[in-house]
Amino acid sequence: MLRKGLVTLLVVVMLAALVPASALAQDSVTIRYYNFSSDPDHVEDLQTIIDAFEAENPNITIEVSSAPFADYFTLLEADLVGGDAPDVFELNFENFVSYAANDVLLDLSPYVSTDAPYYPRALEAFQVDGAQYALPESFSTVLLFYNKDLFDQAGIDYPTAEWTWDDAMAAAQSIRALGDDVWGIYSPIQFWEFYKKAAQNNCAFFNADMTESTINSPECVTALETMVSFVNEDVMPDQTELAGVANEELFLQGKLGMDVIGIWQFAAFADAPFAWDIQLEPGAAQKAHHFFANGVAVSADSEHPEEAAAWAQFLTSSEIAATVRIDAGWELPAIDAPEYVAAYLEQTPPDNREAVFQALESPVTPPVIERQTEMQDDLNQLLTAAEMGELDPQSALDMAKEQIDGLLQ
Amino acid sequence: MTESQLSHAAAAPGAIRLHPTRWIVDLLYYAVLIVLALVMLIPFAWMLSTSLKPTEYILSVTPQFIPNPATLDSYRTLFDLMPMQRMLGNSLFVAIAGAGGQVLVSAMAAYAFARIEWRGREIVFLLYLGTMMVPSQVTLIPLFILIRQLGWVNSYQGLILPGLFSAFGTFLLRQAFLSLPRDLEEAAFIDGANHLTIFWRIILPLTRPALATLAVLSFMQYWNAYLWPLFVARQEIFMTLPVGLAKLQGGPRALTQWNVVMAGAVVTVLPILIAYLFAQKWFVRSVTLSGIKG
Repeated sequence: MLRKGLVTLLVVVMLAALVPASALAQDSVTIRYYNFSSDPDHVEDLQTIIDAFEAENPNITIEVSSAPFADYFTLLEADLVGGDAPDVFELNFENFVSYAANDVLLDLSPYVSTDAPYYPRALEAFQVDGAQYALPESFSTVLLFYNKDLFDQAGIDYPTAEWTWDDAMAAAQSIRALGDDVWGIYSPIQFWEFYKKAAQNNCAFFNADMTESTINSPECVTALETMVSFVNEDVMPDQTELAGVANEELFLQGKLGMDVIGIWQFAAFADAPFAWDIQLEPGAAQKAHHFFANGVAVSADSEHPEEAAAWAQFLTSSEIAATVRIDAGWELPAIDAPEYVAAYLEQTPPDNREAVFQALESPVTPPVIERQTEMQDDLNQLLTAAEMGELDPQSALDMAKEQIDGLLQ
Repeated sequence: MTESQLSHAAAAPGAIRLHPTRWIVDLLYYAVLIVLALVMLIPFAWMLSTSLKPTEYILSVTPQFIPNPATLDSYRTLFDLMPMQRMLGNSLFVAIAGAGGQVLVSAMAAYAFARIEWRGREIVFLLYLGTMMVPSQVTLIPLFILIRQLGWVNSYQGLILPGLFSAFGTFLLRQAFLSLPRDLEEAAFIDGANHLTIFWRIILPLTRPALATLAVLSFMQYWNAYLWPLFVARQEIFMTLPVGLAKLQGGPRALTQWNVVMAGAVVTVLPILIAYLFAQKWFVRSVTLSGIKG
């Protein structure tokens, strides 16, 4: 009896396997989506977005897979080399540049609807020679955090959006005067800060055709001089004075007036025993803010470019995707639609959350060359030497130019 | 002063006066051993301690060794976030099947290299051993493309099969087989036994210690493997523990819940620790026999 039932079942299963899938669901398309940002905390949030997309597009099924960030790009490259790339995948900005240069991404311009509410500058960041190789999915930035209590004690005005680094220096000196163990400001002296301050001073890393470095131009030297001046004026602790204490720790202890640090610290600072707020970073000739972004790209080899692009756009610009992200604290959508982000703006501290989105008006992306890691390492060493006073800014950047020229050959 | 010099000294007429020295040397000896043992144990203690801390205490400025308050929350979060039972099952299945398979394949190859005469045997063996010199990173991508074309991505055979063919295991067992006297199998041949019978009934039972050694080593190799399972197990239902564990670490600009990561590490280490308690003898032997610490 049992055996007979089993045989029947097997026959049915085998017959079912013979029926082509397309006969069951007309024109159904499966899009494979590969990402790193949903692990481990946002798997369900991503599923919510997928469910909403599939409800709107009943003929498309999204198949998700994910990998830890540390290994994500190794696996993605293996998939691309193996000729079996996912249709849609996440890229952070630094990797986006090299993927776009290697012709593995689809130009999304024909597919992207013009009324999608992206921040124009964020959208531009993912363009190369007029081709839209990815859509901005989420972003993060760095702002000026300040301890209101210390500003009150020093009797000075809070930072404004119009501040320059001169204003910051004056405030830092007043706060430093409050006590031996109270510091005015912290703004790290390393590659990531330098290229941003360089942009504030109109300093370009390279000449227009990328044959030579211009990193020792007067504008660049001014940028580095400003950075180092805070150490020289003793309002910012250097590495030895920090003695292994992280600057965010110093800020949390209430011993740092201003900290130039990422908005991902909001949660860590939420319970600080003093009042604090954020403001746009002080500028120089112009404003510039970090634009750490993830983008969503479509593989050039995708068999369903239209459906893949539809998913990429839904994931990056739909209202449901935006609100799910904000409710879950899963970075921020780069979308210019205040009604989507109202819930985010209402949370405090900090009171001045609008500054996060104002920073999107002046995004700066890192200078990228083929031998990126070497450039960053070389530059970091020289910047540290300048911070410690072993080299003056001019000679540090003269040496940097020489080294970068060597890397550009 | 070495141990033997000391015992000579103790036997000399002045022995009574030398005894205190002996005592002090022993004390120093154990003190050094205890310090070294602590150095080895502290990371494990720290792992256990962190896994029992509530989130807000993990990175407290003055590090806490004894979690206060202690909580199992991180374990609850861990089992909520990840299909841990499934991953534990995957790890056990892959490690047991892999170790069993590797021992069988290596033993058969070793038998052919050690006990059967055939033309070109030495050259083939040398070539086979030579593959040990090729770092696995070099063959990773070609192997992955092969496995992908076979359709074995996200499958147990994809996780297990490529690791079965071990030049090291073959070498280890060949040496063990060579040490057995020829007379044994000649007697068996006269009694009408074929190669299969000799392999199964004579060679394998006589080399059990070597087989157990290889089984222990390859179990640990499969259990701890990260890179290959990472490539092959893309879906959570096929992931082994180390791959699942890596997914607990947040990306850039995301906070990692270290207590949950540590809870995952405890769950990963525990089975191997228990296995060690029961099979201590074989573990120690595997190190002394092969000179490899897993």
